[in-house]
Amino acid sequence: MNTRAASGLERGDRRFGLMLTAPGLAVLFLVIIFPLLFALITSFFDYTLINPNHDTFVGLDNYQEVLDEEYILTSLWVTLKFVLASVMIEFAIGFSVALALNSVTRFKNFYYLILLAPLLINPVVVGLLWRMILHTELGIANYAISLMNIDPVNWLGNANAAFWTVVMVDIWHQFSFMAILLLAGLASLPREPYEAARVDGASSFSCFIHITLPLMRPVIIVALLLRFVFAIKTFDIVFIMTKGGPGTATDIISYFIYRAAFFGLDIGRASAMSIALLLIVLALTIYLYRYMTSLR
Amino acid sequence: MSEITLRNVSKIYGSDDAAVNNINLDIKDGEFMVLLGPSGCGKSTTLRMIAGLESITAGDIFIDGKLINDIDPAERDLAIVFQNYALYPHMNVAANLAFGLKLRKVPKDQIESRILKTANTLGISELLTRRPRELSGGQQQRVALGRAMVREPVAFLFDEPLSNLDAKLRATMRTELVKLHNDLGTTIIHVTHDQVEAMTMGDRICIMRKGIIEQVGKPLEVYRNPANIFVAGFLASPPMNLIEGSFEQEGDSLKIEVSGITLTIPAHFANAYGNVHSRKDVILGIRPEDIYTDSNDGRYTCMETQVVAVEALGPETIMVVKLPGGKEISARLDRSFRAPIGSALKLYADIERMHLFDPETEKAIVAR
Repeated sequence: MNTRAASGLERGDRRFGLMLTAPGLAVLFLVIIFPLLFALITSFFDYTLINPNHDTFVGLDNYQEVLDEEYILTSLWVTLKFVLASVMIEFAIGFSVALALNSVTRFKNFYYLILLAPLLINPVVVGLLWRMILHTELGIANYAISLMNIDPVNWLGNANAAFWTVVMVDIWHQFSFMAILLLAGLASLPREPYEAARVDGASSFSCFIHITLPLMRPVIIVALLLRFVFAIKTFDIVFIMTKGGPGTATDIISYFIYRAAFFGLDIGRASAMSIALLLIVLALTIYLYRYMTSLR
Repeated sequence: MSEITLRNVSKIYGSDDAAVNNINLDIKDGEFMVLLGPSGCGKSTTLRMIAGLESITAGDIFIDGKLINDIDPAERDLAIVFQNYALYPHMNVAANLAFGLKLRKVPKDQIESRILKTANTLGISELLTRRPRELSGGQQQRVALGRAMVREPVAFLFDEPLSNLDAKLRATMRTELVKLHNDLGTTIIHVTHDQVEAMTMGDRICIMRKGIIEQVGKPLEVYRNPANIFVAGFLASPPMNLIEGSFEQEGDSLKIEVSGITLTIPAHFANAYGNVHSRKDVILGIRPEDIYTDSNDGRYTCMETQVVAVEALGPETIMVVKLPGGKEISARLDRSFRAPIGSALKLYADIERMHLFDPETEKAIVAR
C-alpha cells in the first residue's frame, strides 16, 4: 500500500516537473531544434530565395556542389588559421592574466571589472568601435603610431594586415572569457598539494608544470573547447569590419555561408554547408574531448 | 637526525594578536615531540614555521644549530604529513612517492629501490599504480607517510595526520607510528589536539594555548604534575575535577573548604605548602581516578554526594556526582559499580594526590 502511494506521488511529481519545463522545452524546440531540422531538410532541396519552397528534391546535389565550390577550401583554411590563432593567443594571454590575478589580493574586483568590460560589449559594437579606431586616416591607432614616427598602417585594407587585425580584435574581445574561466579553475585548486610540493623541494616553476597544469587540465579542456566552438562561428566582427575581404583574407566560413544564402540567394546550398560545418565541428569537438580526457 | 631549536619565536598575522607568542622549545635528536593544544593554540602555525610554509615574525629557528629562518622549505630537508594528506591527485602512488626524489635529482634506480622499500615497510606495495582517489582514507594516510619517509629527511613534521581516520584505524596507526619512530630513530614533531595521541606517542609533550607554551615534559610527568589549571583540565578524559575553595586555619591543622566539604590537609602536606595559608582562595584539583567507593581504612576523606549521572563505559564506570555545595565532579569507578540517579552516595577522595592551584595566576601552588 505504501509503495502504491509513493508511486502515485512520484507520478504526480513527474507530471509537475514536465509542466514546469514544458515552456522552456517549447522555446528550445522553436529556436534550436526546428531551425536545425529545417536546415537539414532544406539542404536536400533546391530552395532559393527566388523560389522559396520544398518542391524540388535534389538529394545530395547541394552537398556535391559544396565540394565543387572553388573557394570553399580557401575559406576553410582562413577559418582554421583564424580559430587556431585567436584561441591559442587568447589561451596564452588568458592563462597569464589568470595566474597573475590569482595571486592578487587587493583591488581584485576592480581588475575583474576591467577584464570583463570588453566581454560585455555586443560584438557588432566591438566591430564598429575598432573600425573607427583603426580607420586609416581618421583612426586613433594610426595617429598614435604616427607620434612614434611609424607610417600609417592600412589595418583593414591590406590583405595580410586585415587577417591579423580581425584576430587581434577577437582576442581583445574574448580573451577575458578565457581568463575568467581559468581564474575560477585556479581559485578552486586545493592549496595543500602546493605546500607538499614546496616541502618536497619544488620551485615555483616545477609547481606550475607538475601541479597546476595537470590539476587544471579539466578546466583547460572546457575553456579551449568552448572558445574553439565560439571562434568557428565568429561572424559579427568580420561582417562589420571587413566583409570577408580584402579578397578572401578574412573570408571565414560563417561569412562564406552567409554570402551563399543572401548574395547567392541559394538557401539550399547554404543549408548544406551549414550542416556540413555542424558535422565537422561536432566531430572535432568529440575528438578533442576524447583525446584530452584520455590524458587524465 | 637532527635537533630543532626554537628561540623566542613569534608569528603575528596582520595587526591581530600573536598566533604564536615568543615561544622557546628544544627538540632533541631523535625525539618524538608532540605539540598538543586546542584548535587555534598556535601548534600548527609553529609546525608550519619550522617547515618554512609560514614566515617567522620574530625569533629564530635552528636545525642542528644552523639558522633556517630564511632558508627555502625545499632546502630544509624536512618532510611533512598533512591532516588531509595533500597527495598529488593526478599522480599514482609511485609517482607521489617519487616526486620529491625526482626534484632532488636522485638517480632513477635508487628512486625505484627506495620506493619499493618504503612501500614494503608501510604495506602499500599493491597500491603503487593506483591514484589517490581510488584509495581509502587509511591507505592515503600511509601513502602520505610513505612520501615523507622515502625522502629520508632530517625530521618528520606531522600535522594532525590521524585526525581524519576513524577511531579504530587511528588507534592502529598510533602504535604503528611509534614503532616506525623506534625503527627509524628520526626526530618527529607531531601536532595534535587529541590528548590520547599525546600521552601514548610522545617522548615529550608540549602543551600550548593561545600562542604560548603552557608546559613541556614527559607525558606522565605532565599528567602527574600539571603546571597550571589549563594543563590539568586539558589532559585526560574525563579531566581533573577543579573545585573552587578556600583555606581555613583550625588550630594547628590547615583545612580547605570546597563546595560544602571540609578537607584536612595532612600535616606533612601543610608544611610542604609553606605559606599557602596566607592565600585565602584556592582551586583544588582531584583526578576522577583518585576518588574511591571505600575509605581505604580511613585514609581517604569522605564526601557526601548525590548521583547526577552514570556513564557505564564497559571497562569502567564514570559517575557524575554533586557535592553538598552544588559543584559537580566526576569519579572513575569500578566497571560493576552502579547507583541510582538521585541517590545519596559516599565517596572517598585520596587527598594525598590532590593538586592546588592559585585562582589568580592559575598556576599550581606546589609542584610535587
